[in-house]
Amino acid sequence: MDILLVMCAGVLLGARWFPQKLYRFNANLQLLCTVILIFSMGVSLGARPQFFEELSTLGVQSLFFCLLPIAGSVALVYPLTQRFLAAKQSIGEEDGHGSSGDC
Amino acid sequence: MVLAAIVSLFLGIVCGRWIFSPQVVALFAQLSPYVLYLLMFAVGISVGTNKLVFQKVGEYHLKILLIPFGVITGSILGGMIASLLLSYPLGEGTAIACGMGWYSLAGVLLTDLSSAQAGSLAFLANLMREIVSFALIPPIAKHLNHFTAIAPAGATSEDTTLPMLIRHTSEEVVVLSVFNGVLCSAAVPIAIDLCWRLLPH
Repeated sequence: MDILLVMCAGVLLGARWFPQKLYRFNANLQLLCTVILIFSMGVSLGARPQFFEELSTLGVQSLFFCLLPIAGSVALVYPLTQRFLAAKQSIGEEDGHGSSGDC
Repeated sequence: MVLAAIVSLFLGIVCGRWIFSPQVVALFAQLSPYVLYLLMFAVGISVGTNKLVFQKVGEYHLKILLIPFGVITGSILGGMIASLLLSYPLGEGTAIACGMGWYSLAGVLLTDLSSAQAGSLAFLANLMREIVSFALIPPIAKHLNHFTAIAPAGATSEDTTLPMLIRHTSEEVVVLSVFNGVLCSAAVPIAIDLCWRLLPH
């Protein structure tokens, strides 16, 4: 919930007061934060005493319980979004292209 | 970006394992939430500067629930199939899949509900989901559609995998991604508990 509030504060700043000349800085800041977060995740994992042992003993089962839920999620989300969201988006994009073409 | 993510993760594991002292490891753990807040603030600015985002998201109404519905249901079904293929207890296996990438919580909950081994399996499977998502988001966004790129990320679509989604989709999809992450994160403890209690194990 905290994350949503922080993001909303950013949205408010971006929508009202954020200067265009800082857009690039903002994009670079996102990249830097991302790299730090992923690095931190790696640090936490590497520091776990049994990390490598767990990886070798439970690896195959973990892979099944990783890949099949991903496959299930993609298999459901793709047709749903293709039918109800992507079609709407492409219609919107076509409208946009049409109006810019008119201009 | 994928390369940067994988290299960062690898370097982090090496540093956490062999280079950093426990104090430095603890410092990173303390700093991470603040870096995440900064990232979310910066992402919010990106969303706010794009005036069309909320107009478009508002057009979706209840359809905004389609993605979390698909992610949660698909994860449960995937967990059931994996359990059957591995001859693993159905309730436990499905509960593991219900972690939807939130490896720390899934590991703790499964350890508490079942055993340390189930907790370790939940931890690793959901950690892999997060890592595999980094690699899957770009091709899914390119070859299927931008919305489907949220699916592998599951509950992590509001934080760790969000930067990949920002890079490879659009501000509009990023808003849906955060919404999906919040709903899936809220669903993780409930789904794990329900699957554990209602399905045979």
